[in-house]
This record gives sequence, C-alpha cells and structure tokens, in this order.
Amino acid sequence: MIVSIDWLKEYIDIDMPLEDLAEKLTVAGLECVVKEIGKSIPKGVVIGHVLEKKRHPSAEKLSVCTIDIGTGNPATIVCGAPNVEAGQRVPVATVGTQLTPDFTISKTKLRGVESNGMICAEDELNLGDDHTGIIVLSDDHEIGKSYNDYFSSSLVLDIDVTANRPDAMCHWGVAREISAITEKPFKKASIKLIEDGPEVDSIAKVQIDALDGCPRYTARVIQGIRIAPSPAWLKNRIESIGLRSINNVVDASNYVLMETGHPLHTFDFDKLKGHKIKVRFAQEGEKFETLDHKERELSSDMLLICDTKAPLALAGIMGGIESEVDDNTVNILIESAYFTPAVIRKGSKLEQISTDASKRFERGTDPNETLVYAQNRLAALIVELAGGSIAKGMIDIYPEPLETKIISLRYDYVKRVTGVDISPENCKSIFSHLEFTMISEDEDSLTVEVPTFRPDIEREIDLVEEVLRVNNIDKIPSMKKLTMSVAEECDKFHPFLTDIRNFFAGHGMHEAVNNSLVSKNIGDAGIWGYTPLNVLNPLSKEMDVLRTDMIQPLLITLRNNALKKRTNIRLFELANVIEKNDHVDTHAVEHFNLGVLCCSPLWGLNWTEEDKPADLFYMKGVLDHFLGNLNFNYKLKENTNRDEFEILYDIVIRKSIVGKIGKYVDGYFEKLQLQYPVVVMELQIGKLFNWYNPKQQYIPTPQFPSIFRDISLVMDKKSKAVTILNEINQHGGKYLVDLVLYDVYIDDTKLDKNKKALSFRLEFRSKTKTLKDEDVDNVMNKLFERLMNQYGAQLR
Amino acid sequence: MTIHETIKEVQEQFKDVLKNARDPLMLEEVKNTFLGRKGKIAGFFSMIGEVPPDTRKEVGKMLNELKRSLNEQLELRYAEFQSEKKQKERVDYTLPGYVVHKGSRHPLTQAVDDMLSIFKRLGFDIAYGPEVETDWFNFESLNFPPNHPARDMQDTFYTEGGGLLRTHTSPVQTRYMAIHEPPVRIVAPGRVYRNEAISARSYCLFHQIEGLYIDTDISFADLKGTIELFCRMYYGKDVKIKFRTSYFPFTEPSAEIDVSCFLCKGKGCRVCKNTGWLEIMGCGMVDPNVLKVINYDTEKYTGYAFGLGVERMVMMRLGINDIRILFENDVEFLRQF
Repeated sequence: MIVSIDWLKEYIDIDMPLEDLAEKLTVAGLECVVKEIGKSIPKGVVIGHVLEKKRHPSAEKLSVCTIDIGTGNPATIVCGAPNVEAGQRVPVATVGTQLTPDFTISKTKLRGVESNGMICAEDELNLGDDHTGIIVLSDDHEIGKSYNDYFSSSLVLDIDVTANRPDAMCHWGVAREISAITEKPFKKASIKLIEDGPEVDSIAKVQIDALDGCPRYTARVIQGIRIAPSPAWLKNRIESIGLRSINNVVDASNYVLMETGHPLHTFDFDKLKGHKIKVRFAQEGEKFETLDHKERELSSDMLLICDTKAPLALAGIMGGIESEVDDNTVNILIESAYFTPAVIRKGSKLEQISTDASKRFERGTDPNETLVYAQNRLAALIVELAGGSIAKGMIDIYPEPLETKIISLRYDYVKRVTGVDISPENCKSIFSHLEFTMISEDEDSLTVEVPTFRPDIEREIDLVEEVLRVNNIDKIPSMKKLTMSVAEECDKFHPFLTDIRNFFAGHGMHEAVNNSLVSKNIGDAGIWGYTPLNVLNPLSKEMDVLRTDMIQPLLITLRNNALKKRTNIRLFELANVIEKNDHVDTHAVEHFNLGVLCCSPLWGLNWTEEDKPADLFYMKGVLDHFLGNLNFNYKLKENTNRDEFEILYDIVIRKSIVGKIGKYVDGYFEKLQLQYPVVVMELQIGKLFNWYNPKQQYIPTPQFPSIFRDISLVMDKKSKAVTILNEINQHGGKYLVDLVLYDVYIDDTKLDKNKKALSFRLEFRSKTKTLKDEDVDNVMNKLFERLMNQYGAQLR
Repeated sequence: MTIHETIKEVQEQFKDVLKNARDPLMLEEVKNTFLGRKGKIAGFFSMIGEVPPDTRKEVGKMLNELKRSLNEQLELRYAEFQSEKKQKERVDYTLPGYVVHKGSRHPLTQAVDDMLSIFKRLGFDIAYGPEVETDWFNFESLNFPPNHPARDMQDTFYTEGGGLLRTHTSPVQTRYMAIHEPPVRIVAPGRVYRNEAISARSYCLFHQIEGLYIDTDISFADLKGTIELFCRMYYGKDVKIKFRTSYFPFTEPSAEIDVSCFLCKGKGCRVCKNTGWLEIMGCGMVDPNVLKVINYDTEKYTGYAFGLGVERMVMMRLGINDIRILFENDVEFLRQF
C-alpha cells in the first residue's frame, strides 16, 4: 500500500529523516520503504505543435502532419488518430525513443509517406487505457520540452501491510502509528456538514435482508451535484499515491477511503429503482454485470446491494454498470456500510476480484466511528467540490451494534512474555497514542477499551504485542542464560538418514532433490503400483499428482541431464512417496523411500581399466554393502510384471517387499542415446528404520587361521549361480565362513557349448582349533559329489 | 660345544634369517638380534671372562672376525634392497591416480543437517509430520480461521479427499503437542508446498525448519537469545541480528528476523539488494489460542516458535539467484558440493 508523505503531514508532524521513519515503522510491524513515484515518460517524448495536417495521398484514415518539435526543423509524421488537427499541442515520440522494451520509434514509411515519429495516445505512454485518439494538450505546454517535465513526482511510503492490520491501510492508520512511535499528536480534520435538502427518509429507503453479511448500512443522499474534473489539490493527492484522477465524486470517494481506510460507494440515485437499497444474498446462478464489464453468474454466498428490481453492486467488492455515477449524474446516494469480513473474502475468492474495498472489508473495517466519519466526510467533500444539497439525516440500519472489547493487561504478564520490565507509564502512553480508551488501572494492571478499528486486538496477549512493537521489539535484551528443558525422546531417524546420504555420496553418487509433484502418467507409472493422489488445483498438468515412487522422478532427472549431454549420471534421493488410501483422513499414506539411479561407467575413465558400465551387478553390490551395514539379511525375488525392465527384483526382508532393484531394457531410452545401461533401486527406508537394530556387541575376532579351497566346476549353462551358491552354503559344513564366486568362464572352443565353468573360493575356519587339511577334505569331497549328482557338475 | 662350533652355528643361523628378511625393516630386526647392544655377539663378548685365559685372545679375535663378517653380509643385503627399490622406480609413478567417482550431498540437505546439528547442541529434539495434511492441522489449529485473509499469505494446494499439501512445517507444532506434555523442545525439518507460479524467486515446494519450545517461564528474551546463538553458530560470531514486528496467526507477538549480510558484512551488495540485511526467518511467542487448542494451560505455559526457509539461506550463501537451479539436479551443479 502506498501512502504519500505530504498527505500524512496533514495528520502528524514528521520531523525525522524519511529513511529513519521507514525503519521505525518497519520494526513496529509496518514493513515499508521510501519511494519516489511519478509518471516516467521516456525522455524522447516532447511537446510538439501541429503546424499543418494534410490527407494522406493513398490512405483515407491517415493524415500527414508537419510538426514543430522545437528543433527548428519540423518533422513529418503520419498519424492515424481521428482527432489530430492543425494548431494542437501534442506529445510526440521522436525517432529513437524506446516506448516499451520491444518498441522503439524509428524512421519508417507508411503507405509510401515517410514518417519521423509518432503522436501518442494515452495508452502508448502508459497514462491510461484510452486509444480512441491522441492526447491533446493545453497551449501552455512549451514546444520541444520533455513531456515528463509536466508530471510531478511524490515521496511515498510503500508499505507491506500484514493481514491483521486493516487499520493501517490508510493515511490515518500510518499517522497513528507514527504518533505512537514518536509520541506526537495525531490530528483529524473536522467536518462541516450542512444538511439543507429534504428529509432523507422521505426520499430513500434501505432494507437489510442479510444482517449476517451486513450488520450496518448507512446512506446519505445529495441532490443537485455537478460532475466535473477534480480541482488540482485533489487530483494531486489522488495521483500522488499512484491512482488515476477520474472526476470530483469518484476522486472524493477514493480520497476518503485512503484517508480513513473505510471504503465507500456512490450510486447514481436516479438509477435506483424505487429509490430503495436492499441488501441480500444472491440467488444461486443469478447474473450480474460488474464495472469491469464482466457478466458474472453468482453463488448464494455472494452478498448483493440491490434496488427494488435488480442488483446494483457486489457488496464491498465492486459496483455494477447500471447504477454507475457518470457525467450526467445529478443526484447520488452514498453508501457507508460494514460487511462481515468472512463474507467479503468468500465472495472475493469466488469471483476472483480483489479491490481496494474488498481488501479492507475482508480484513475488517470499523463499523462504528470511522464508518460514520467517512460517510459525513465524503458528503461534505462532495458538496464542497460538486455543489448540491445533502438530505437531512442519515439512514442508519444497525440493529445489533458491535460490542466493544474491554481488556486488562497485567504488568507481570508483560514481563512473563517479553522477559523485560516495561513501565506502566510507557504502556499507558502507547495505548493513548493508539487511541485506546483507558477504563481503569491499578498497581498491577490497566484496563482499556479497544477501538473498533482494531479487530486484531482481542486478548491480553494482543496488548502485549502492542507494547512490545511500539517499544521497538529489537531492543528487548536477549537472554544470556538459556534454559534447556530435557526432552524425553531423542530422535534417531535424522542421523539414520544422514548416514544413508553419506553412504551413497561416499559411493560416488550425487544427491538429488526432485519435485514431489509430477504428471499423472508419471504417478501412474510408479514402481509400487500405488494409485496417485490428485492435486485439485495444480499449477499445471505436469504437476497434478504426488509422486508414487522415487524412480520415475529420477528418470526425469536422467532425461534432463542426458539432454544436456551429461554423462556419469549417478543419483540418489531420499523423500516421501505418496500412496492414495481412502482409509486415512488425508487420503494419503506417506512412505519415506530411497531412490538410486545409475547410468555411468563403473570407474571414471582410467589408463588401466577397460570402460565397464555400472551395471546391475554393481547395483547389487551396493545393495549388499548397504543392507549389510544395517545387519539385514535379504532375498531377491524376480518380478516379471514390468516390461520395461530387462530384469527386476523385489528386495525381500522378513517376508515383506521393502525394495526394488532392476535394469531397464536397453532400448527403453533409445531417444536419449545413453552410453550406459540404466540401473535403479528403491528402498523403503522408513520401514527399514523401524526394523533397524544397531549392533550392540562385538564378535570376537578369529583366533585360528583359515584354510582356503578353490573349486572350479563345469556345469550346464542354464544353471543359476545363486542355486550353486546356496547349495554350497547349506552343505559346506560347520567350518565354512565365507564363499566367493570369483570366476565365470564361457568359451565354446574349450568347453562344450552348453557348459560354463564357475570358480568358487571357500574359506574354512574353526573357533576352537587350527584346522587340518583332513578337517575340510571330507566336506569338499561330499560337496563335490552332491553338486555332481544334483547339477551334473564336473571338476574343471 | 666348542666355541668354534658355537660361532659356526651362529653363522648358519644368520645366513638363514638374512635370506628370509624380505625388506629393510626385517633386516633392521636381524641386525638388532645379532649385532645390537644386547644381541647375540654382544652376549658372547660378555662371556669372554669364562674362557680360559690362554685362549682369550684367540677367541676375542674370532669374535671380532665374526662381527665384521656379519656386518659385511648385512651391508650387502642392504645394498640389494636399495637396487630392488631402484628397479621399482622404473614404473612411471607420474601416471595419474585411478579415477574414483566423486559423490556429493545436495546443498539443501547439507544445510538442513548443519542447522539441525546446531539445534541439537542447543537441546532440541527432532520431530516430523506428514506432507499431506488436514486443514485443521495446517490452518485451524494454528489460529487461521476459515475465510481469514491470513490464509492468503500461503497459497495452498488441495488434494482429493479433503487434504492439502502443508504450506509450512508449523502443523508439526500442534501434532507434536497433541501427544506430548510440556516441556516441548523440538525442531521439525521438512518439505512444504505453495501454489505459486514457478519463477526464479519462488518454487512450488521448499524446505523449512520449524522450532518450538514450550515450558514455564519462556519469554521473548529467551527466543532472542536462542536465535542469536543459532545465527552466530551458523553464520559466524560477527553476525548482527535485527528483530522487527510481523504477523503470523500462530504467534503473538510475531517478528521477522534479519541478519547482517554475510557477504558484504552489512555494507550493501547484490545479495542483500543493498540493504545490508537478509531476511532469514519468522518467529514469535506461541499464540495462546494454539496452546488452548491442545489443552495446555496458558496461564502456566508460554513458549516460542520459529520457522526458517532453507532454500533462501542456501541461495544467499551460495550466490544462487534462481531457486529452480536447486531442483534441476544437473549433475554438473550437484558435483560442486
């Protein structure tokens, strides 16, 4: 919100540098900066004098003008405006002027005639929306002078008013704050109201059929006014805060709004059917055209101001076309009302209109003094500016006046919350400058009545905030001796995650953070087969569900990297995936998962190693290491449900699927021209954490030496390594402590073409003695016999 | 055994161990065993008094000869090692080391870890809450009444079935308090969502860390002391901190916290937009309405809460001027951390 410094000075003395003032207001809760605003018309736009106007030889609607632009060398300009005439003073954008970032005036030919500039309309200079004709200036504009020199600039405060402070959305409010901070008096203008018209009740009626939406409605009628441009002082005020001056009545209404913060509305009284105002809620589907020329279909939550026939305005939000004050208006009705904040907010949301009025009503205006002051102030101001006579009396429907709030503030409570002693005198001074009424006081507390323009003050704690913020919250001394209450719990999850992150980073992977919002087809493709949870108001189709797995978003990341020709893509991410589940209140079950994706060589390019990919066996190794660290035994179970995978396993722990590991079919990413296979893994970390039991005790290190035995077996190509490994592990005897498959040999020239050779190294060790050869020979023989009988294995 | 036989045996022994010494270190051991101050040869010399006087001279000579011979053999063996070592130098050790893949942590999760470890030192426990929230926890329990303009402060994504994506980590406050009695001293990290057009300055999701401390006699001065300590631990001891009044429905009084720009030390630069200050978090005393919602005695307990945006702090620190970079996951970006 913009407030003008000059205007503020009508209500409060400001005798400190503006930067300091802004700083003080900011600390007190009105975050603001000092700005200079004014029209900024490009320098190349100068005042021109139309010397001559001729018809364009070949275009009926164009004229060829000769224009004195003060250079002594008149310019020829082709103009399409219907209102250009010789003798006019006009703004001319000369050749080379940049009007918008992508529009610079250049020498050009229009239908064969050279044109050296452009005569400007309002919209072309960003002064308004009008494009019906060029701007015609009065003769006191000096030829050749920069047009911008005719606009004054003003110093303003640009304030970011928080949602709880409707009272500060006007000059009064800001002046009141300054008054509290500087302890200078805050002055309001007094009103001279002459009611010399007929009794208002005899000419107008107001009826409220929706008291819950409109607890108070006041109206005054002024007859015999004359709509005219605003006088200079008013025009300046209006323009100084960046608004456009329209006419005396509209400007006066905006002036009072910006002065007091109370929105007002003026109706053309003669357009009111039955000269009666009726406030009611809309009927479902009722149609209404607002001032912005939009035909709206209303819901029954929308509060309307109507006459006896039809709606006139969306109450507190926007007026309608039908009852608008126009140049021919002579009689007006002024509305100053109080609308229920929640009703206005709902309506403003529904219709997606936010206006100066709705912004204030939805935050809460003052239904009492300010409402009446604004009504009277506007009536008096209009008579002063536009003549006319005010009808006697004010229609005022306010059956249930708002009760004022009376709150006590205990000084020891102030101390308890702020940690410092604030003197009673200090408190009293603050409340008096903020226009709170002192009701009573004693040694330990004071009691005040809260002004009705402060809907945010409801409780003792709110008074504490007033004291604290006006006193400069930054000056509260900070506690040097901090207390630390002992919590009973001690989180282990975050350190667990940190370990995981460091593990994968240590394995040469980069941690990613992906968007949780993905497109529906990405959500549907999730590896777990969850139903995705829809977002009802997504930013775009690309983000209309929550991700159902970690792998799909990592694939998008892979794609984005591949498109940038990045290689060595090794990524992991930890985050929630969401499963739609109608049995919980949010319809969402969150699983905290880990995703890993590799499309990379195993090693960086080296002078000694061939370029091996990080393939599924690499990922299996990482998985082994990872789950081994956490002391989990797991099994892999092949999952054949997904065609895009060459191989996909379920990772099973305690008979429950806790993860997936797999390799995509090479052709699946054909378009990306990847150099390496894409292998992925996903693990339910939340589940693993719940099961995880950190190792408590150490295992004594072996005291006796091991005996190693290598065995190389030729067997059927189709036999699975895992079968043989299991077989050896199961029948390796009590001394077998380790088993490694260290070679796979396939060579059709040296072996039968249906055969392969697998080599294993077995490590035997006893806890109680040094093993002798005969301790293991027997086992080895039996083992070989078994493998020979069951799998046709032969020694190589 | 005659002395001659003994010497011979020692010579044989020496030859054996010398042969088995595989490196200079083992050679050093051999030298100590035989020729050291308490070695075998020294032992013989000390026994020379027991030899009949007429042969003493001869035995002495033999022992000296033995000592010389062993020394000579040792030197030869040392020399052998030297030449073996030289042979090794013929490998081109200037070749680069094998390229081991470098991994990295995302700057966001690193920052969260850094901050959490500070809060842990200050005695805060860590708590969590769901990302898909109910309106009650995200708004109503935090003193955002329905149809209140404060809700406009946080544009919300709604999900099917009546839930929403939490717009801040503050619902963890009420979730935690609902199942714990005071004292409560927690920080809660996590993802939050805002339905705002994606641009260089805003993304539809970001990370927050929420803090909450409820006990008897907790004041705004405690909050200031704690936040100041946190900022010094995170930004360094010279950082300056400024509190200014603000508004959040769930705290009263509320404040925003600015820290002096770490880049220009408050002089004004591009990062702080020439103000010298950076806005880093919101905070305040927990509103009694929030405490009432979970049936804490508001006359007995007070407390503070704060919330900081991790992305902002990371962007300022790293000089990132477009938040989308953090979610792009370009490996060329990620590998820098």
